[in-house]
Amino acid sequence: MLQFLIRRAFGAVLTLFLISAVTFFMFFAIPQDPALLACGKNCTPDALAVIHQNLGLDKPVPVQFWDFMVGVFAGRDFAVGHCDAPCFGVSFATQQNVWDTILDRFPLTLSLSIGGLIVFLIVGLGAGMIAAAKKGTATDKVFSSASLVLSSLQIYFLGPVVLGLFVYSTGWLDKPKWVPISESVSGWFMGLLIPWLVISVIFTANYTRMSRSTMIEQLQEEHVRAARAKGMSRSYVFFRYAWRGSLIPIVTILGMDLGALFGGAIVTEFTFGLPGIGRLAVQSVQDKDLPLTMGVMVFSAAFILLFNVIVDATYALIDPRVRLS
Amino acid sequence: MSIFGTRKTRAVVVALAAGSLALTACGGNSDSGTKDKSKTQEDAAQQSQAVIFGDAAASTGPAPEVPGARSGGTATVYQDSDFSHLDPGQTYVSDGKLLDRLIQRGLTQYAEDDKGRLTLVGDLATDSGKTTDGGKSWTFTLKDGLKDQNGNAITSADVRHSIERLYAPFITDGPTYVQAWLSGAGTTYRKALPDGPYKGKHLPDSVLATPDAKTVVFKFKDAHPDLPQALAMPGYSLVPAKTDTKEKYDTAPVATGPYKIAEFKPGKSMTLVKNENWDPKTDSVRHQYVDGFNIQYNHDDDDQTKTILADRGEAKNAVMFTGQVSTNQVRNVVNDPEAMKRTIQGYAPYVWQLNFNLDRMKDKKVRDAITYALPSAQIYKLDGGAYGGETATGLISPTTPGYEKDYDPFGKLKKPNGDVEKAKALIKEAGAEGQKVVYAYGNTPVRQQQAVVIADRLKAIGLDVVKKEIDSATWYEQVGKVQNGLDLYMTGWGQDWPSASTVIPPLYDGTQIQDGSSVYSHINDPKVNSEIQRILKISDPAEAQKAWTALHHDIVERINPAAPIYFTKVFQIFGSNVGGIRYSTDSSYVDVTRIFLKK
Repeated sequence: MLQFLIRRAFGAVLTLFLISAVTFFMFFAIPQDPALLACGKNCTPDALAVIHQNLGLDKPVPVQFWDFMVGVFAGRDFAVGHCDAPCFGVSFATQQNVWDTILDRFPLTLSLSIGGLIVFLIVGLGAGMIAAAKKGTATDKVFSSASLVLSSLQIYFLGPVVLGLFVYSTGWLDKPKWVPISESVSGWFMGLLIPWLVISVIFTANYTRMSRSTMIEQLQEEHVRAARAKGMSRSYVFFRYAWRGSLIPIVTILGMDLGALFGGAIVTEFTFGLPGIGRLAVQSVQDKDLPLTMGVMVFSAAFILLFNVIVDATYALIDPRVRLS
Repeated sequence: MSIFGTRKTRAVVVALAAGSLALTACGGNSDSGTKDKSKTQEDAAQQSQAVIFGDAAASTGPAPEVPGARSGGTATVYQDSDFSHLDPGQTYVSDGKLLDRLIQRGLTQYAEDDKGRLTLVGDLATDSGKTTDGGKSWTFTLKDGLKDQNGNAITSADVRHSIERLYAPFITDGPTYVQAWLSGAGTTYRKALPDGPYKGKHLPDSVLATPDAKTVVFKFKDAHPDLPQALAMPGYSLVPAKTDTKEKYDTAPVATGPYKIAEFKPGKSMTLVKNENWDPKTDSVRHQYVDGFNIQYNHDDDDQTKTILADRGEAKNAVMFTGQVSTNQVRNVVNDPEAMKRTIQGYAPYVWQLNFNLDRMKDKKVRDAITYALPSAQIYKLDGGAYGGETATGLISPTTPGYEKDYDPFGKLKKPNGDVEKAKALIKEAGAEGQKVVYAYGNTPVRQQQAVVIADRLKAIGLDVVKKEIDSATWYEQVGKVQNGLDLYMTGWGQDWPSASTVIPPLYDGTQIQDGSSVYSHINDPKVNSEIQRILKISDPAEAQKAWTALHHDIVERINPAAPIYFTKVFQIFGSNVGGIRYSTDSSYVDVTRIFLKK
């Protein structure tokens, strides 16, 4: 298991390096000097030169990349002060430490993603298992049909509809807003309730369908039928034998959906006016803010890779054959 | 200032500037059946009145009480995105100006009455400035008891420092009027103090003198009667020498106004609390009714409007700063009498105009034809309708002193949708049928929609239109190039203070043509250039206004460097618990100096 994790971690670090390099060099393919945006309307060649120097843009691109990587591990000095490791630089637009900015935005995106994930896993897997257990009944048909309809919805459509109905028209729910959990647990919960529900409605559908079909498949497996024939209770066999077997494909799509959930934070955060990593990513690209773009990209990629390693480890736990491959 | 700069110096805000409102039709009743209750020029006539120069009495605090005002509570502010700058020296645009009114002070400021009439008064200074030589030198005396947020006394040395730091290379976004008047136009002024005051050098006393701790004297080669108005710009607000942190100041400025920054999270929020060292007795305009402001970013116009219109929870205490009633909510607001009571409207100073690149569009008949042909009403309908704009008849806004309501050389009032027949005849007369014209527009939704209307009309009068879409993030950079390869492009411009002297010279003074200048049409007419220089030296505001009006006529009728398309308006809504709300002629948005919460 340890060897498996080391292998995966090494692969993740290599991937991160490649993502960093590609993002960095792609940024310089944009035919516009990012210093111009920081230079303002009264820009002079002297002022531009100072900004180039302050931002480190006066050096060759490979040197800049090297400085960036050194900063990540050892910290760097900027005109506005020292930046401790892990240093992703100082934002061109706001002069703020990129790492601090990301850490400030991350709790929201994490809350949004994990909260949504918990809701859609509980609801989705639950609905799928019920549908599988009641295969062919009205309950199964309702759950299956609903999942088909809901999976076709999008956050940018469903979000404004829910806001219009439950916030602006009736006032039944609070408008989504970010309240750190350290400030108020209820404020945090109520502030993210609508986004979680909307995310879960959209993602739940896939899990309902997937868990239903895999459970049905598992329930027909010989070892499950043998267990029943040996006299084990229906619920014991259902959860102990069939459910465990059905988790493999679910964990597979969960691994992919985590990326989608994190990447989809852009849409979610814009739809609900929440200041998370997704919105930060868009803003950094619009501002041609290289350090912030790099920081968000690398951080998000690292997070997704971490989740993927966890998912891989979960695979290995669920199915020992994975450890051997 | 260009409208680009007024909203935000970021791509996303160009989109905002390019279109916030749109729905109702021009005048009377809209096509949607919504009764047009938009601001009319009669309502806003005070906005274009010449500024009154206030004396010491008008500059002495405290400010007159706002009827019904009470103290306490925290107002919520919804904003689309961050303020572009916090360093006063870098502040030039509207969002920064509104914040500046709350946390900073300069030598002068505008006092405003309920009709929008402006009086220039002393802010840190005891009055609006004294000159004995027609504006070649100006003396300002500081009030007693002035302190910054740290309790440090404000002296003339701080004023000197605030001006001198504008010469430093890191200051690139603020206004340059005063620096240019003191030390040379263009970028020449920077040579007078290349490092600002940071290496121990200062401007000579022959330029900027501080004979004692309370007196500041500006000395110019030529008369600059507009100096007191220029100094009311946020870009000339005070930066105390002791607390100046150069580049870092843009994230953590020290307050001199009634509020100070308690917390700032870029891209997320800003919290303002009372500045206990601000003394109301020294301020004749600002109040400190609310305990603070909770400014939340990431709320676009649509979100702001819906939230405030719903008027629930903290939205009852909410105000818009530079947000406006969004396009698709105009009808909901206008049709709700209770909501309409919570709105303000006014003319913004911006005039959208279609520039002719005079290096390429040399035939005036063709320029006139295009001007006659443009369907202004259709174009501004896509950018706010009656609540967002109005057919422009000239290049001077209804908010600028000297604006003439009846001046309409191209008959746009009678034919707001253009005069195609007349335009066709002029094109034929010029022998320009089939002439290729390169028309550029920004890639925002509003500009793209407007481009369809404009290109169709140009085709209809016989021109061969080549549409060129440009990234809105670099729009002004690209059209600001002398060799831009374009024939037609739309830009917006508004006054920096209520005078045509901040409109005509920046846009039509040919001596300023260079890459990055705002003379977008490349007009370079000797008569216009010399007239501009002559009028700038006139010290009598009434005489100057008359001369600017005459020059405006000459530019429009003899040269026609840009076709006027539409004037802009502002329409904002507020929570039901917010009091003291009124439109500000000075800021073009809400007057933030008198906001209070009713309970």
